[in-house]
Amino acid sequence: MRKILSFILGSILALNLTISVANSAAKEVRVAYFLEWPSPNLEDMQKKNFAKALGVPVKWTNFTNGGAMTDAMLAGDIDISYSQGLVPFINAVKSKAPIKLVDIAMEYGMGGTTCVTSNASGITKANATELEGKKVAVPLGTMAEYVFDESMKVVGADRKKMDIIQMDPEEGAAALVSGDVVMACLFGGNSIKAATAVGTRLLTVQEARDAGILGIDITSVTTKFMKENPEMLRTFIEVTHEANDRYRAGKSDMNAMSKASEMKVGDMKETLSGFKFLTPAETKQSMTKGNLDAFLKGMGTPRGNVDTSFLPL
Amino acid sequence: MFTQFITILILVSIVGCILYGRRLIRTEKVDAVFGNPERAKGGTHWIIVGSSAILLIWLYYSWDIAKGFYPKSANELCQVAKVNESLLGLKYQFPIEEREFKSTSIIKIENKNLQIITKEIQSSPDLSSPQKTTLVGFINETRQLIPLLTNENLMETDTKIQIKEMTAEIRLLTSNFKKNDYPFETDEQKSERLRAVSEEGGWGITKVQSGTGSIENTIEVPLVPATNKGLKFDAAAKELEIINDKFFKLRNHNPQFKNSIKALKDKIKEYRGGLDDTQEVASTFAKNIVKIARRIEFASIYPPNALNEMQKAIVEFDNVQKSEQGGLRFVDMFLFPAGTIVSSGTSCSEQGSGRWLPKPSDTLNKFILMSKPSVGYKNIPLLWIDMMDVSKIIGFILPDWIADVLPGEYPIHTKDGVVEQNFKGRVLKVVTGDFKLFKIPVPYGHIWDSFLRVFLGLIFGILIGVPLGLFMGLNRFAKGFFDPLIELYRPVPPLAWAPLIISVLGIDNTGKVFLLFMVSLSIMIISARAGASGTQLSKIHAAHSLGASKKQILRYVIFPNSLPEILTGIRVAVGMCWGTLVAAEFLAGTTGIGFVENVAKKYFQYEVIWITIFIMGMLGLLFDVTLRKIIDKTIPWRGKG
Repeated sequence: MRKILSFILGSILALNLTISVANSAAKEVRVAYFLEWPSPNLEDMQKKNFAKALGVPVKWTNFTNGGAMTDAMLAGDIDISYSQGLVPFINAVKSKAPIKLVDIAMEYGMGGTTCVTSNASGITKANATELEGKKVAVPLGTMAEYVFDESMKVVGADRKKMDIIQMDPEEGAAALVSGDVVMACLFGGNSIKAATAVGTRLLTVQEARDAGILGIDITSVTTKFMKENPEMLRTFIEVTHEANDRYRAGKSDMNAMSKASEMKVGDMKETLSGFKFLTPAETKQSMTKGNLDAFLKGMGTPRGNVDTSFLPL
Repeated sequence: MFTQFITILILVSIVGCILYGRRLIRTEKVDAVFGNPERAKGGTHWIIVGSSAILLIWLYYSWDIAKGFYPKSANELCQVAKVNESLLGLKYQFPIEEREFKSTSIIKIENKNLQIITKEIQSSPDLSSPQKTTLVGFINETRQLIPLLTNENLMETDTKIQIKEMTAEIRLLTSNFKKNDYPFETDEQKSERLRAVSEEGGWGITKVQSGTGSIENTIEVPLVPATNKGLKFDAAAKELEIINDKFFKLRNHNPQFKNSIKALKDKIKEYRGGLDDTQEVASTFAKNIVKIARRIEFASIYPPNALNEMQKAIVEFDNVQKSEQGGLRFVDMFLFPAGTIVSSGTSCSEQGSGRWLPKPSDTLNKFILMSKPSVGYKNIPLLWIDMMDVSKIIGFILPDWIADVLPGEYPIHTKDGVVEQNFKGRVLKVVTGDFKLFKIPVPYGHIWDSFLRVFLGLIFGILIGVPLGLFMGLNRFAKGFFDPLIELYRPVPPLAWAPLIISVLGIDNTGKVFLLFMVSLSIMIISARAGASGTQLSKIHAAHSLGASKKQILRYVIFPNSLPEILTGIRVAVGMCWGTLVAAEFLAGTTGIGFVENVAKKYFQYEVIWITIFIMGMLGLLFDVTLRKIIDKTIPWRGKG
């Protein structure tokens, strides 16, 4: 009896301690990113320039969705999430996660995230109300859901009357090919390629841009890391913006980027053509009173989770 | 209130049952030796202890006990967290929680980086030796920058004064903090604050967005300080925040350092400007050296003893704030296990086990809320009744081609635009269910859909698996023919099929039911086969000599004999089906418990996740209990053959 009791007490103590003592000093910086989602700073990742600039090793881990990035940040495994979607970030801060938005990774039109209707269904922008009562695949809780919502407003179809099926992009593309759904909303170059083989984009990239449908990917950071290593965070963002400058000047090493994002150079260039990498000044403008600000307000995001003080202005 | 009551009840019942159990052992006449199964019989009191322990652990690690007994503690801990958050950056500069000064560790890291780059330059084949000399010269100059920052004599008076000021501010705050009436709030401020507190509500309120039927995440720790103790910490946190910002704006740059770094930067810039495209390697090295120099420039490097006073002041404040917490520290330590309340600027949140393990009380509230058909999840109730016309069922059962094969044509509209119905048209209406009969209630909702999928998968598995299994147990051809097929697919985990299912069978119920069918089929075949081949030969011989036909032997000897095995197989299959179902509904879904869980995960709705887990556990248990009852009723000969 006494042995059992002491064992129970001991394990309770151990559990309590292990969880409260998380990471201590930043001897390395752990960054989350996406594959198939190219950005100029991946060249620096490939060439280990971040480690050189920050002075400590930088460990890059790839994720499949932004929600998982948040989970990893809360568990203390990730310090910075690069190119997390804005919708997962908003979901996270709505559930009071201690993370902060410090930079915009990129703004993109529907090039990278879009809804594709199957050609067999014959549904286009003109008769989009026919979507009502039919099945559509949407990865809920991601940027694609936002794009879906906004697109439906543009074409005048009622989301509530549709049969929305929760599907990740790869599965959504497969379901569109097999004809199970008439429309799939997706992100990621390979999935969109598979979907557009049997379908067409509901809104073209230009139409979406005109309608103000815009995706924003951001850089988020745990509050702890931000407080403890502000200079590292500043350097990280600075290197990223240097890479963006280099891309704008056309001096990026496309091979290194394609290797890092695991895409073919051609596909990557096509994806990149839909992205807009902002200058630090544009970023600040977007964060304080531009697109990002409007987006956050539109989604009813709690205020005070955006910090512009790390931008290299 | 409720939680308090439950907690006490649980504690009392655990203690009571343990005492009862110990007394029982003493009073009971024990003539059963160790190893005798009699010793494991009975023991309801241990069931109570077991389930109470689970509940207690849940209550404890979800911090529901803290919420029940100290409802204000989260709010107060939030204020403490604010202080900790403001102190985080400052503390990190000193060996308080770290092993060394931040200045020390930066100098160590940068010296190491300089060494690495020196080695790289010296071993680089792309550089000529004069280039190497120049670059190493730059490195040495960069290294010379550090002593300029760490030399106390070079430190500017202005910087010293600022550090002194900040130290004084922290000291003042420490002495004020001890006072009872700090932060000297006026009545007006107080009434304003209390109004904000009442508007904000308590710890962990749940709100339903009316109309949309969606449940928002509202595990909220109130932010505005509600108690005097909390207010103290809140005010101190604000002051510390200002000091913190001031400190990080301060740069320990003296004129010598500024001149040296400027000279170095200019030199490197000039050097890089002089290089042509073929000497890119040298240019990159030079650029990296500048980066290190810049890092040294912007890091907070101070002389070894310059911040001693400040460190003391911070440690002193830290001790004072800890002692001011008083009993709250113990509440934090003992009632907030595996985590605590964390502040993040504009909000406070539970981080640790309280985050992912929702409180039993919240979970119950949310479950009651979700059970309401008007709320449900994603506009579909968990389990409710819908009135459906019987005609729909008839339309589903009767095949549509009945109308097609009838002679004649379907009605065509006349020139007046009227459609006159004929016999063939009427038949079509019947077979497609397009008519009105009486309505019957039909269950629907997430739970029902999941249940139906498991049930159908199971039924198909039984209908095909049992005869096939019996056949295989009795016939050489069947055994030989089907064995390789079954044995090949049986060990494959059912989820391995999942990626194919969408492409082959689509996203509707067909695919999911098929997946479950695959699971149950192999189990049913194996168990029926084992049952059939396990029949005692003497029984078959007895029946045979009494003149029973093949059919009769199968019906009255072999089948009843294998029934226990089959029913055990069903029980196993049910468990496996539940396990697979969730994953199947993860794939693509609009309804079902697995779908609910998958979507809840995306929105960080931990309560909903736990609700689905409980529902699945309960349904699995229900299935199992029902089956056990059926087994006991239908085959009383089980275990006696």
